[in-house]
Amino acid sequence: MYAALLSNRYLTSRLIPFIAIAAVALCVALVVTVVSVMTGFLNMLKDSGRLIVGDVILSTGIGGMPYADEFVADLRGLSGVQGASPLIDTIGLLRMPYPVGNQKEIAHVQVWAVDPVSLATVTDYAEDLYWKPPADAAAKAAMAADDPRLQLDASILQDGARLIHSKTGTPGIALGMHVSVGNARQRDGSYLPRYGWFMPGHDVTLTVVPVSGSGKIAEPREQSFTVVNEVQTGIYEVDKNRVYIPLHEGQRLLRLDEAPLFDLSAEPDALGNYPIIGKTPARVTKILVRAKAGITARELRDRVEAEYFAFGKRMKSDPTRTAKMPEFVSVLTWEQQLRDLITPVEKEREMMRVLFSLIYLVCAGLILSIFWAIVIEKTRDIGILRSVGASRLGVLWIFLRYGLIIGVVGSALGVLLAWGVIRNINAIHEAIGSDAPPAIWIGTFVLAGLSALGLLRAIWVGKLLALLLWTLATGVLALVGTALALHHGTLIWDPSVYYFTIVPDQVDWTTAWSTALGGVLFSVIGAAIPAAKAADIDPVEALRYG
Amino acid sequence: MGENSLGAILDARSVRKTYTFGALPVEVLRGADLAVNAGEWVAVLGSSGSGKSTLLHLMGGLDRPDAGDGEIHFRGSPIAATHGKRLDAYRNRDIGFVFQFYHLLPELNVLENAMLPAMIGNWFPNRARRKQAESAATALLESFGLGHRMLHRPAQLSGGERQRVAIARALANAPPVLLADEPTGNLDVKTGAGILDLLAKRHANGLTIVMVTHDPLVAARADRIVKLIDGQVETGCVLP
Ligand SMILES: Nc1ncnc2c1ncn2[C@@H]1O[C@H](COP(=O)(O)OP(=O)(O)OP(=O)(O)O)[C@@H](O)[C@H]1O
Ligand SMILES: [Mg+2]
Repeated sequence: MYAALLSNRYLTSRLIPFIAIAAVALCVALVVTVVSVMTGFLNMLKDSGRLIVGDVILSTGIGGMPYADEFVADLRGLSGVQGASPLIDTIGLLRMPYPVGNQKEIAHVQVWAVDPVSLATVTDYAEDLYWKPPADAAAKAAMAADDPRLQLDASILQDGARLIHSKTGTPGIALGMHVSVGNARQRDGSYLPRYGWFMPGHDVTLTVVPVSGSGKIAEPREQSFTVVNEVQTGIYEVDKNRVYIPLHEGQRLLRLDEAPLFDLSAEPDALGNYPIIGKTPARVTKILVRAKAGITARELRDRVEAEYFAFGKRMKSDPTRTAKMPEFVSVLTWEQQLRDLITPVEKEREMMRVLFSLIYLVCAGLILSIFWAIVIEKTRDIGILRSVGASRLGVLWIFLRYGLIIGVVGSALGVLLAWGVIRNINAIHEAIGSDAPPAIWIGTFVLAGLSALGLLRAIWVGKLLALLLWTLATGVLALVGTALALHHGTLIWDPSVYYFTIVPDQVDWTTAWSTALGGVLFSVIGAAIPAAKAADIDPVEALRYG
Repeated sequence: MGENSLGAILDARSVRKTYTFGALPVEVLRGADLAVNAGEWVAVLGSSGSGKSTLLHLMGGLDRPDAGDGEIHFRGSPIAATHGKRLDAYRNRDIGFVFQFYHLLPELNVLENAMLPAMIGNWFPNRARRKQAESAATALLESFGLGHRMLHRPAQLSGGERQRVAIARALANAPPVLLADEPTGNLDVKTGAGILDLLAKRHANGLTIVMVTHDPLVAARADRIVKLIDGQVETGCVLP
């Protein structure tokens, strides 16, 4: 029972245990925060990746595949399939008029010609439509009188979901959120149209280049679309480049629509036309498939692949099917499809892991050496205890308990601190991203002034330590004040560098627990080794210490 | 009496102790013999650096004699053969040790310091035993005139007060033998005499005392005086 008494006394009658607790807490918080954010980042990427392309993606070459409607219907009948949607994926140039001046902006874009209704069953397309009518009167009141969002009504969502401009009946186009430079991201992650460049309602021109199945490039073709809404998937790479148009418009522009089939081996007639022997059906280049809950992307991939082979065989053996199925299609899971996007982040996380293992080791070394210093200083006490009959184990237990308490309290505080930081990371990020409010830096200067008074007093009474501390405080406060006054907001988490527009704010509890455990372990080991060493020598030798 | 070590409670037999500084060995004890009978009060005289503390540490089981050279017996059995738990118990119950430099634990108050040996050996908090140890230590401290100092830290005490706390600690488990290393060394004559009176009272109740001193007047309080000269104990020496 003396062990509990002594370790409690060692904990409470000195400053050093509190320093040790703070060191453990900071080390744990550091590791937990960074690993959590990196892990959250990767999870976010994976989660949203799946919501952008579905679970399984079947892609053909540029020639596309015919009879897609039948195949999609087959897929929908397949067990484990939640939805399937055909589309054409190509590249194009988008000319956007801006209402201020005569400026026209041309952007190269990834064009997805989609069936918006089935797309919404496979991806989050409908939820990702960004512009909505103001929710209520309060939201309306908060907007400026000329805010174009005031004009929005329910049609903005319907038009986006159907890709048609209902007022004029023209084909609609939905732009990724960052395709137009008109959308200014606000600090809270929402968007405001910049200079009134509000895209919905404007006409834009899309130019695409049809490529024949044999790879021959035809004349570029262009068509005007009306912007019906904008889409925010949350992944910057996608939102920067992608536009959505109706599938049939895409098929027509790219000459993948239904067309007469000529017999090129026959003699052309007097006008030079070949005889028509049938029709080529419309084609698509991709089919996205969404899995039902409980089936993995990998399993679904195998089913889709098997289904495609069966379907292809059926088409081949059917003499009425004149169009040829593509020889080669790739069927990939979303993870395989988004490899290019996911790999760098995974690599980055591994690199951070390595870096943080190093930091972890440094922290462990720090904790070990703090305890080493504390216990070595107690060597004489250990000699006294041993000479009045305390056993080695009894002495060891005093310091194990000591390390354990510091480790547990420090680690708990560290996890708590990390939790607080991570949950508020977007607010903190935003605060760092804004100019410091004048009250704060003026307040800091006032504190620096007060501390300068303390400095004068220290000189007056002639106390060296006080003089040193007050000088330090004055200097640090003055520096911090200057830094705050000069600070101009920079958002660290630039959405164009990281794929996401918000910082992940979930604690990775596996990391948290294992790091906290490490904190406790290193505290205990750090206290136990020197204590065991001191308990092992003869009491007289320990007594000579210090 | 010293020739016959059969009835001795504590018996050091031709003990050697050598300290080595680099290549230079310093022989502090060269076959020291000291047999202490039960109930006896022995004073060990010797000049500074003659090895008095060293001998007492060896007898208290706080240090080891040179390997293979001499043994210390307690009640007939060598303490060198005891180790681990047995040696801990020897230091805890059989011997009370008063250090030349007090060696109190600075983080514990006077009462807790005096209770320390009584608390050792109880792994688990035991309220009854703690109460018992507390009342025993309180009684002891009060009899030493420290009743009003119970909750003070050692740093707040004078040298004589600290020495008295150290003696109270040594007597906490009522050991049969007290080994005291210059218990009056740092004190003025009057305070020193007070402490010697305390020891004399215990001695009258049967406590065996081995007391190291370099002061012949202090040594005169003992039943027997031995001298440590050239690393050996000269017995039967005359009172000054
Ligand atoms: N751990 C040690 N290492 C080296 N030398 C030591 C050690 N302990 C004691 N000595 C030496 O042994 C000799 C005897 O020391 P000891 O403390 O026993 O003397 P002492 O008779 O008690 O002296 P004093 O009256 O000053 O207390 C001294 O010369 C001392 O320097
Ligand atoms: Mg000495």
